[in-house]
Amino acid sequence: MRPVYVIGIGITSFTRLEYPLSEIAAYPAMMAMKDAGWKEIDHLYVANMGSGRVNHQTGLASAVVDTLSLTPAGAEVIENGPASGASAIKTGLMAVASGLHDVVMVTGAERMREVNNLEATEFIATLTHPLAEYIYGVTLPSLAAMFTRLYMEKYGVTERHLAMVAVKNQNNALLNEFAHLQQEISIEGILDSPEAMTNNPYVAEPLRFFDCCPVSDGGACVILASEEVARKVERPLVRLAGVGQATDTHAVHEREEPTDLLAVRRAAAKSFGMAGLTPSDVDVAELHDAFTILEIVESEEVGFFPKGEGEGHLALERGETAVGGKLPINPSGGLKGRGHPVGATGVAQAHEIVHQLRGEAGERQVNDAKVGFTCNFGGFGNNVVCLTFVREN
Amino acid sequence: MSREIYAYKCRKCGHLHYPYRMVCRNCGENEHNEFDQVPLPKRGKLLTWTRAYSLPADFEVPSLGLGIVELENGIRITGQLRVDDPKIGMDVRGEVEIVRREGYDERYGMIFYEA
Ligand SMILES: [Zn+2]
Repeated sequence: MRPVYVIGIGITSFTRLEYPLSEIAAYPAMMAMKDAGWKEIDHLYVANMGSGRVNHQTGLASAVVDTLSLTPAGAEVIENGPASGASAIKTGLMAVASGLHDVVMVTGAERMREVNNLEATEFIATLTHPLAEYIYGVTLPSLAAMFTRLYMEKYGVTERHLAMVAVKNQNNALLNEFAHLQQEISIEGILDSPEAMTNNPYVAEPLRFFDCCPVSDGGACVILASEEVARKVERPLVRLAGVGQATDTHAVHEREEPTDLLAVRRAAAKSFGMAGLTPSDVDVAELHDAFTILEIVESEEVGFFPKGEGEGHLALERGETAVGGKLPINPSGGLKGRGHPVGATGVAQAHEIVHQLRGEAGERQVNDAKVGFTCNFGGFGNNVVCLTFVREN
Repeated sequence: MSREIYAYKCRKCGHLHYPYRMVCRNCGENEHNEFDQVPLPKRGKLLTWTRAYSLPADFEVPSLGLGIVELENGIRITGQLRVDDPKIGMDVRGEVEIVRREGYDERYGMIFYEA
């Protein structure tokens, strides 16, 4: 396989966007071409989950490739639920690594605010098992809540730990001009004060409002290229060194050990294996914190902290995962602070890592970051894609 | 008529599945429909639970109890939970009842009560 590099990146604000879905996909693509100083694109992958259902638009990639006047380049949509973004990047890597294409654009986009929050929750709930989960009214927050309760019981994670993730990530987002949530929060405000229970009601016990990511519109793009092209482009050399993907049972109740996220563990191991690196090599990570518990558990499953003792929440307590800590997690604000336009999220995670490895992340820059990692979590952990990036020069 | 929810027993190796899948997760040897339907037991222990407040629009209730139950034969099932003060590990019993109405469609599933 040929080595594959990220030569350009672009992103929209993650918020409510008033322009059409195809433009939410195209705008970051234009920024990425400008960033790379390169406009010859062989192929386009669009990561999206809901265009048909939420926006009543199908064949999105054909719309986007024409909006960008990139025809007759090939184009298609990659749909893998909330892991669509990293799946599309993985597919782009395969196209360049195989030699089929030299330059592939991967743009992720979602326009979820077209519907109200309940309809958005319902749309995401269609990820669940139709007969064994969906018919009961099971949603992603309720699956996450049942998982959280078990994790608390087994490992001593408390609502305070969950709130610490929310505060860390939402306050990281204040340093990210593209992040959805621009509101400073504190443990006092969301947990300890007399108003906290009003400010922060239960969504699905024991998860509260501030444990859940917002519903966002947004788009992000990365352009992948061969080494030959990457050396012509005058940008820092960031290599997509590892991709790994794993699946797990569709119905959550079938998993042998209900507090494990085996697909995360396996996808991460494959990604590190391909890169020839280990979790201890990572300087900065973007993990899929759609719910606060997930950042803690993924930080263990990918191998940053030992799972046996439930070390993830203890590392959080010690501040190791803050910007300036030993291993900053979600400096961008994560899904919690940046927002979660489902199809765009995996690409936005990669965008942040490339930004960090280039040393261009401004006030939230992680010092001397050379190796970055992303975990994009689809369904409730039934389809997970992990990426490993390395700064080369 | 009493309604049942079924587990699916592989005719090649005996492994029990819930929900249905087309190929055995244990032996991978059976072909389509080489499963025997086995009614799920109704009693078990509550493995975990939640009370959810942000519900799909067709649920016209302010909140909904949901749980995962480990049944007497070791099979786990997700269902609705109608228990005032749920506790992990408590004994529950299930009834097959209407769990969701979508237009004129009535969907049946397991609802768990305190045993
Ligand atoms: Zn079998």
